[in-house]
Amino acid sequence: MRQARDIPVLRVENLAISYETRYGDVQAVRDVSFEIQRGDAYSIVGESGCGKSTVAFGIVNFLGRNGKIVDGRILFQGRDLVGRSQEELRKLRGDRIAMVYQDPMQALNPTLRLGDQLSEVLIVHRGMARSEAEDRCVHMLEQVHMPDPANVMQRYPHQISGGQQQRVVIAMALLNDPALLIMDEPTTALDVTVEAAVLDLVAELQTKFDTAIMYISHNLGVVARVSDRVGVMYAGTMVERASVSDIYLHPSHPYTLGLMHCVPKLGMDKSSSYLYPIRGRVPSPKNLPPGCIFEPRCDFARKICQEERPSIREVEPGHWSRCHFAEQVLAGELQPLAHLLPNLEARERSGEASKLVLNVEGARTYYDAPSTKLIGGEKQFVKAVDDVSFSIRKGQTLGIVGESGCGKSTLVKTIIGLEKPTAGTFEFMGVDISTPVSSRDLDLIKNLQMVFQNPDSTLNPSYSVGAQIARPLRRFKTVPRNDVRDEVVRLLNMMRLGENYYDRLPRQLSGGEKQRVGIARAIAGRPELVMCDEPVSALDVSVQAAVLNLLLEVQNEMGTTMAFIAHDLSVVRFFCDTIAVMYLGQIVEIGPAEAIYAPPYHPYTEALLSAVPIPDPRVEQKHIRLMGGVPSALHPPSGCRFHTRCPRRSLLPDGGAICETTVPPWQQVTEEHRIFCHIPLEELYKLEAVITIDVEEESHVG
Amino acid sequence: MLVKDYMTRHPMMGDPGMSIVEARHYMNENHIRHLPIVGDGKRLIGLVSRQTLLVEPGRISSLDIWEIAHHLSKMTVSDVMVRKEDVVTIDPDATIEEAARVMVEKKVGCLPVLEDEVVVGIITETDIMAQLTAMMATRIPGVRVTIHMPEVRGELARLVAAISAQGWGILACGGAPAPREPGKWEAVIKIRGVPRGEIVAALSQIKGQEIVDVRETD
Amino acid sequence: MSVAETTPSKTSEAPAGTQRKWWEPLTLIFRSGVGTVGLVIIVFWVLVAILAPLIAPYSPLAQDSTAINQPPSAQYLLGTDNMGRDMLSRLIYGSRTILLLAPISVFCSVAVGTFLGLLGGYFGGLIDEVVMRILDAIMAFPTILLYLIIIAALGPSALNVVLAITFVGAPGVARLVRSLTLDIRTRDYIRAAETRGENPFYIMFFEILPNARGPIIIDSMLRVGYAIFSIGTLGFLGLGLPPPTPDWGGMISEARKYIWTSPLGVLWPALAISSLVVALNLFADGLREESTRYQ
Repeated sequence: MRQARDIPVLRVENLAISYETRYGDVQAVRDVSFEIQRGDAYSIVGESGCGKSTVAFGIVNFLGRNGKIVDGRILFQGRDLVGRSQEELRKLRGDRIAMVYQDPMQALNPTLRLGDQLSEVLIVHRGMARSEAEDRCVHMLEQVHMPDPANVMQRYPHQISGGQQQRVVIAMALLNDPALLIMDEPTTALDVTVEAAVLDLVAELQTKFDTAIMYISHNLGVVARVSDRVGVMYAGTMVERASVSDIYLHPSHPYTLGLMHCVPKLGMDKSSSYLYPIRGRVPSPKNLPPGCIFEPRCDFARKICQEERPSIREVEPGHWSRCHFAEQVLAGELQPLAHLLPNLEARERSGEASKLVLNVEGARTYYDAPSTKLIGGEKQFVKAVDDVSFSIRKGQTLGIVGESGCGKSTLVKTIIGLEKPTAGTFEFMGVDISTPVSSRDLDLIKNLQMVFQNPDSTLNPSYSVGAQIARPLRRFKTVPRNDVRDEVVRLLNMMRLGENYYDRLPRQLSGGEKQRVGIARAIAGRPELVMCDEPVSALDVSVQAAVLNLLLEVQNEMGTTMAFIAHDLSVVRFFCDTIAVMYLGQIVEIGPAEAIYAPPYHPYTEALLSAVPIPDPRVEQKHIRLMGGVPSALHPPSGCRFHTRCPRRSLLPDGGAICETTVPPWQQVTEEHRIFCHIPLEELYKLEAVITIDVEEESHVG
Repeated sequence: MLVKDYMTRHPMMGDPGMSIVEARHYMNENHIRHLPIVGDGKRLIGLVSRQTLLVEPGRISSLDIWEIAHHLSKMTVSDVMVRKEDVVTIDPDATIEEAARVMVEKKVGCLPVLEDEVVVGIITETDIMAQLTAMMATRIPGVRVTIHMPEVRGELARLVAAISAQGWGILACGGAPAPREPGKWEAVIKIRGVPRGEIVAALSQIKGQEIVDVRETD
Repeated sequence: MSVAETTPSKTSEAPAGTQRKWWEPLTLIFRSGVGTVGLVIIVFWVLVAILAPLIAPYSPLAQDSTAINQPPSAQYLLGTDNMGRDMLSRLIYGSRTILLLAPISVFCSVAVGTFLGLLGGYFGGLIDEVVMRILDAIMAFPTILLYLIIIAALGPSALNVVLAITFVGAPGVARLVRSLTLDIRTRDYIRAAETRGENPFYIMFFEILPNARGPIIIDSMLRVGYAIFSIGTLGFLGLGLPPPTPDWGGMISEARKYIWTSPLGVLWPALAISSLVVALNLFADGLREESTRYQ
């Protein structure tokens, strides 16, 4: 008999979901159709607010009291879920659909042991005896590669790391052997190396359990790695759906095309390539344009786009697009326009020989750790930054990369004077800056400014944009009192925001706009050195490009020196001249950007590069995964701090016994490029490049 | 070759409250012939096939046309299904030939695969047929030779030894008592990448064995 | 560039928004039924207090020795007290005292509390430790006992009532402001101010305080209610305003002695106090509900 392998596990047809609000019904999702075959991984990708999570909540009926499905069908294993009662739904869906959220703690009860929570699933749903259920759970934890599962069963959620929590949640979802697993940004909160391991797990489980996976993400790189087919959502509707390689190599919707052009690809750098931002912002669902929803932001918009809303249609077999001109886009006739590119003509490349702006030697920042004992006990330190040395030349950009907790933010805060250094020399243009900011003189303060990470907290919600940019101007007396307003307007224009932004309050701005105001405020005093703490990591990809371009422009125009913290290796590669890779408070490798991304690598750099999700299915990455989590900075490992996780120790005699006992030497590769490792350079040179692009495939397909 | 590797995971399933009209519609639309009926936690309650959904004429012959419609609309699958006690099932760790044997013996076309009463999959004749095709490497081009040999221990080993002496590999191999020839064993062997003539030449050297059929497949 | 182009609708909206701003909270309050009721009662008492000389039929101090402890009549709408003074007039004038003293004392306690809270919350460490432990010590005393001690030491007078309420109320405000500060202090815009080398007091009052104002305002509303209560209580205990100032608490205390002969004498001032307190609570609730929903 045929248990119909070709019947999709999930088929969504013309789904529309709206929310009741004060202002009437708001359609959050319109006309979304897609299907997921058994054992397939289907990704829905889109920026924040595009309705991708709403679709997922619609499927599992978690729309809340004010949400409802107003149109369309959701067929799960051939049966319609729409319009059924709660009880019917429960029976129908039963435990056959499971969901994993971005925040694992949402699914875990902090007051219960993990073992109890896991076995509960089996005890309740299957009426299994406790001991048997526990055995089954341990087995499932093994399947998700949880180290020491029996021990984990005895722990509470907060006692394991974020990546492990996510594994537990995935294990919990799989205990019922669901036919469909919905994952809503499951790796967004995780570090790249952990993320890579979780993505591997997802792919493995997909084949092992024959579970269909619906994967929701904003990250094009993650999607390329995890799925076979992709649906791109924009402003509540699906604009394109196709196979991964079609989406990435031959997009047929201008929005998708825009997304591909606005993320830096690993290997791109600012001197040889551009990022093409998508202008404008996503329209609010209350206020959609009458024609094509992407028309106001589209570079190719014609008259018909303003008048007629296109419907989604099949452009080539299996490739659907919601654009009037999909064929032209597909054929590559429409390329992004250059009018939004940064104006970098005046770029001087004479930076090489120029003087040092910042020189840091042996920097150490320790925090007092609260003693666990009530009385006595040795005083302990969290060694957030431990013996870090580097320097930045004028007009150059230093990128600092590393996973969370590696000390990159502390390092920057120490330089800017918000943290007190424990030891080391800090020289800024020849002046000692190891003093806290409160005892620095105004001129020094003026020259060291910072751009912050979180657009929602970078601006004071109580003051208008103009007032916030004007404050440093007044304080540093950059311009005469009477010219302050003009200068603010000039800065706003430079940020491409226009004078009408002067009186707006931060809550009236979008994330990207807030970030631009933050940049304007930082550069208002015309600082010599600007520290950027992950300035684009909280922004949607289409907005990231615009902000990065602005930073480039600023640097170009004012010759500003920058330090740029990021965890996204592609962004750093694009933006920075020199890159420092940090691990557990130490720099493990530092050198010119292009040197970092090619052998010889420090083993940690190699692992990072292998983990970074790349939005290009042609790219081949070597598969290197780090075991375990980052050790505590309270008790860093002896010798080389990376030795506990290093996948390359076997290159040394005795399996790298020396790594545990001796602090590694700095090995000079070139004058600028240093690696902090015991493994001899000759061995490191022999490592293969982590990332190779299979260009042949492109020519073959094209 | 265990059931768990060849069954269909996550089969479509029904619940006992489903009306037979809906069940029939569901099965027709999705081209399925058997529908396991499960309760909470996917525990098996019964099995519905297309035949069971055909209501016996005896049950409705005394009713007029309107009553029939009413009667049908009120009937649920729990009224007509084969109950759990009578459903033939199999364990995911059983071998595939065991599943085939059960199917042949009980004359059923489908076995729900149960793990502690929970339906984890379904295995059907089609799955086993598919497995047979795969076992005989039907889809891979090569030379398929059928040989009759005495039903004596070591005969198949001699055949295999002869092939390996030539340095060839065996793509697929199967054997069974020869039909209509008592005392003989019939072996089928498939070899890839060797010309037909060479194979015939080599195998016809084996004493006491007889090539009954040679064909190239692609 | 494009961003400016795509948001013309925003531009027309923004200036209107800034102009509309001062009465925005009021529209907010009218969305909540509870808040509206509270506001109406408050406005009623405020008007009564302002217009006291116009609407009061008699002077609050005028005694009519012929009508002592009278029940309500056409001449004296709410009756008279034990000294033959018109209850209605005394109530009306009493609202003046209470509506003046309560906000003033709350303002003082909020000012002191906010300062201490900002100080402790922003600086942390030893300063926080010292300030908060002292405030905790104050909070550890029963409120009534504190009032009694302070007034007994300083003597009953309007100023001393304000002082007492400030002293008792400030620790609570400080706790609230401190917790708000601890949260706001971690925001990036505070770090931005620090990297500009701003003076700590600038950061406290110009960067942190404006963002803490919402909860502080709501808390103050509730506190005005408590203050009215406290003033009433002090008056009742004879520690409020010295007689013969019309004072609701004092009126209850006086009338209590004649509760068996003229029970209404207690009822009127009690009603006045509770209506005002309830109204303030309703108003604060409405404000909190709507402002949190608004965000």
